[in-house]
Amino acid sequence: MEKQTLPFSQKLFRALVRLLPFDFRTNYQGEMEGVFQEQQREVEERGGLLGALKLWKETIVGIFTTAPREHWQILTSDCGYAFRMMRKNPGFTAIAILTLALGIGANTSIFSVVHAVLLRSLPYPQANQLIFIRQQEKKLGIEDLSFSVKEIDDYRSQNRTLSGLVEYHAMSFTLFGHGDPERVRTGVVSSNYFDMFGVQPLLGRTFLPEDDKLGAPPVLVLSYEYWKNDFGSDSGIVGKTFEMNDKVHTVVGVLPPVPQYPNENDVYMPTSACPFRSSKAHLHNRDMRMMEVFGRLKPGVTVTQASADVSAIAAGLKASYPKSYPENVGFTSVAAPLQEELTRGARPTLLLLLAAAAFVLLIACANVANLTLSRMAKRERELAVRSALGAGRSRLLRQLLTESFLMALAGGLLGLVLAYGSLELITDFVGRLTPRAREIHIDSGVLLFTLAAALGTSILFGTLSALFSRSNLASSLKEGTAGAGTARQQNRMRSALIVCQIAFSFMLLIGAGLMLRSLIKMQQVNAGIVPQRVLALRTTFTWSKYTSDDKTRVAIQQLLDRVQSEPGVLVAAVSNRYPFEPEIITGGPESVSFSFQVEGRTLEPGQSPPVSTFAAVSPDYFKALGIPLKEGRLFAESDNEKGPIVVIINEAMKRQLWPNESPIGKRVSNDGGEHWGTIVGIVGDVREFGLEHPPIPEIYAPQKLNLSPGVLIVRTAVEPRSMAKALTRAVHDVDSQMAVSHILSLEQARYESMASPRVTASLLGIFAGLALAIATAGIGGIMALMVSQRVREIGIRIALGARPGNILQMVLGQGMLLAVLGIGIGIAGAVGLTGLVKSLLFEVPPTDVVTFSGVGLTLLAAAALASYLPARRAAAVDPNVALRAE
Amino acid sequence: MTKKRETEPFLPLTPAMFHILLALADGEKHGYAILKEVARRTEDKVRLSAGTLYGNLARLENAGLIAESSRRPEVGLDDERRRYYLLTEFGRDVAVAEAERMEEALGQARAKKLFRKPKLA
Repeated sequence: MEKQTLPFSQKLFRALVRLLPFDFRTNYQGEMEGVFQEQQREVEERGGLLGALKLWKETIVGIFTTAPREHWQILTSDCGYAFRMMRKNPGFTAIAILTLALGIGANTSIFSVVHAVLLRSLPYPQANQLIFIRQQEKKLGIEDLSFSVKEIDDYRSQNRTLSGLVEYHAMSFTLFGHGDPERVRTGVVSSNYFDMFGVQPLLGRTFLPEDDKLGAPPVLVLSYEYWKNDFGSDSGIVGKTFEMNDKVHTVVGVLPPVPQYPNENDVYMPTSACPFRSSKAHLHNRDMRMMEVFGRLKPGVTVTQASADVSAIAAGLKASYPKSYPENVGFTSVAAPLQEELTRGARPTLLLLLAAAAFVLLIACANVANLTLSRMAKRERELAVRSALGAGRSRLLRQLLTESFLMALAGGLLGLVLAYGSLELITDFVGRLTPRAREIHIDSGVLLFTLAAALGTSILFGTLSALFSRSNLASSLKEGTAGAGTARQQNRMRSALIVCQIAFSFMLLIGAGLMLRSLIKMQQVNAGIVPQRVLALRTTFTWSKYTSDDKTRVAIQQLLDRVQSEPGVLVAAVSNRYPFEPEIITGGPESVSFSFQVEGRTLEPGQSPPVSTFAAVSPDYFKALGIPLKEGRLFAESDNEKGPIVVIINEAMKRQLWPNESPIGKRVSNDGGEHWGTIVGIVGDVREFGLEHPPIPEIYAPQKLNLSPGVLIVRTAVEPRSMAKALTRAVHDVDSQMAVSHILSLEQARYESMASPRVTASLLGIFAGLALAIATAGIGGIMALMVSQRVREIGIRIALGARPGNILQMVLGQGMLLAVLGIGIGIAGAVGLTGLVKSLLFEVPPTDVVTFSGVGLTLLAAAALASYLPARRAAAVDPNVALRAE
Repeated sequence: MTKKRETEPFLPLTPAMFHILLALADGEKHGYAILKEVARRTEDKVRLSAGTLYGNLARLENAGLIAESSRRPEVGLDDERRRYYLLTEFGRDVAVAEAERMEEALGQARAKKLFRKPKLA
């Protein structure tokens, strides 16, 4: 019995002792075990379980009170020591902290975005149950087809996996009764929309099922921002009335400040209040698609199950309504998590930036490790003396880690300040990629990340430098002077770190270079228009006022005549949209696409019909935008409701459908052959959905035949934005109730369309520039150190007849060797990481030779420059001085 | 004067420290002997465990109040692992200063006739 308990109790005691610091144990463990054994023997002699229990209790309490005290004492003395060392080397400390701050700051700021956009769930209850449903016409390449009222009814009544299904579409209406007529962004939603998302109103109520009934009194819910900014947070807003679409609308509630998806709106109305959604055409025509659909999964149902469910419903629709869903379009529908849907556009860019930020931090770590090593060379004697005086190795490691952690912590704090300062900029940027941008802020998750980054950083660079110095402590005492063996080993370590820095810098520069090349390529692309001195204005024709087509036609003509007469106006046109219009870029070509048929051509079974985008334009549209006529004629005033139906196509369509013949005179139809439009002209291609999108087939129809005067486009003789006021006045001369908004020059629109790649390139460029600066400074630093360590050797060489040129060459050569090694590794890494950037590039291969060679040369030049100064100093060594110095 | 300034930062000593110093006042001892002596003298009121004992020894040694003795007992009586500790001059000064401090406090308590007062419940 005794023999069995004794070893176990010793083991247990030993385990407890392990809680004490290493050095303490080294000093006292043996003695402590001896004392404990004697105590045990004593207890056993006296006998009794109580005595044994008491001993254990005292022993355990003793260790648990002593251990934290001992650790704390070491920590405070290490911190004190570290602070003294940092004060003694202010230059080193400042550079190290600043380097780390840049690295940690870059990571914190990118992480705050990734955290808010990709990691955190949407700010709604059980947000993982929210899904987005998409109809698709796969064979036409249409991934995101909107829904018609009929279809929504079908999905709602037939699904078995959803606890709620709601619709949404965005409109612009003019609101009267609150100052000037105001164009308000309006979300038209199902009555259970807010209930399904779990949003409770701040004031009043949201919508009720009876609000959705046709003919129900129109009601409005205001968004928090609109209520706050336009109504000064008026607490008596509920019950107030405004006129919209010729009807009195009553405000019934105000939303809380929640992020609004999929768009931000000023007001929300139920489906019955939208004049378009409640029109006969929309209610009864299965093919009038305008809405988006969201759903909430029933508890326990997966997205995959829901996807299978909606796809089965789609198959049923296909069977029941073959005319609406022809076999050859590949109609189906899928469900996807809403969160994924809202962040799809941002994901690749954010992941690329996160990787870039991580690289910057790695470079910063390598650089600080290098700085620490250089400083360690000076401190080696001190550390060796401390070691000789009895400080255990792990004690020294611990102290070095404390020093590095304090520096990383300071760097982290400064980095946090940098991240905080850049928050607005970064939110603005991410806003172009995802509606979640407004959720970005620095919260506890981000703070935790910063702390972890600081801790990880300190362990990385602290261990790098400490591990190394450990192995050399013994030798440095013996060698007395800067020991040759140790120095060489240390230099090898430092060189390896420099090579790493160059390799990472190379990869970052490649990333930035590729983005920049893409951007330049994009800018050089011929958009197909002449954007200089063109202004576009959104004009909202109050639909209730222009009840007949004739009235609208007259108004359009009056508008064009009035605008034309304005001094400074060269050409004016109206259309339903214009190239680079922000909404069109967001919506993509799919939002204005339709399929059609060509007269005399029958489709093979399974063959998909051709698809084209569509624009309704007045005759001068082409002239105003500078779109060249390639064949046939442009529209004339006589192409109106009284004449035959005519259309103009672009060259992309000619290439696709009539590659070897003239399409002039051919006829196309988009209503199953009920009406045919004759092609009268071919115009140049326009990259209107973004410069990165190659031109796609487009059909233009005369505005007078397809009344949709949403935009006024004006070519001016002067700076276009200077005419905004005069043109707005001209519009109001024709109709004072017409809201004018979204005034943008075509150049602005074009510039804005490239915002995302431009900001990505800029951020990557900043990261890469930082990396280049750090790496260059690193090369310069290590070459200078090597030269100073080798003064004696260089002196001997010169004394033996080496010419300054040889010495210069030698030092330069060493610097260049590091650069070449780093570039070599960098090339391998960059080639391996092409997947990360591929999707973001435009007409530039991820292994673009120009970028790779340009970046390589840049780094070589930087390395040469950085090594040149130390090399010149080496060449100027006076052998007499050098040899005497030792 | 100078001595007092030096001892002052260590006052008041913790009871454990004071008793360890007292235990060493009449000669060098190894750890277990210190522990036994303290327990005996305080009638088990101050009981040191291995952890608290060596925690205190480490601090006293670092502060120079005690030191490890180079003398070893005769071979045969010696346990390899044992180390012997002795009270340094400075340690003696600190112990004296602590005793004086306690004496002064005791005197003041007596002057206030603290001891005759009944215990408060």
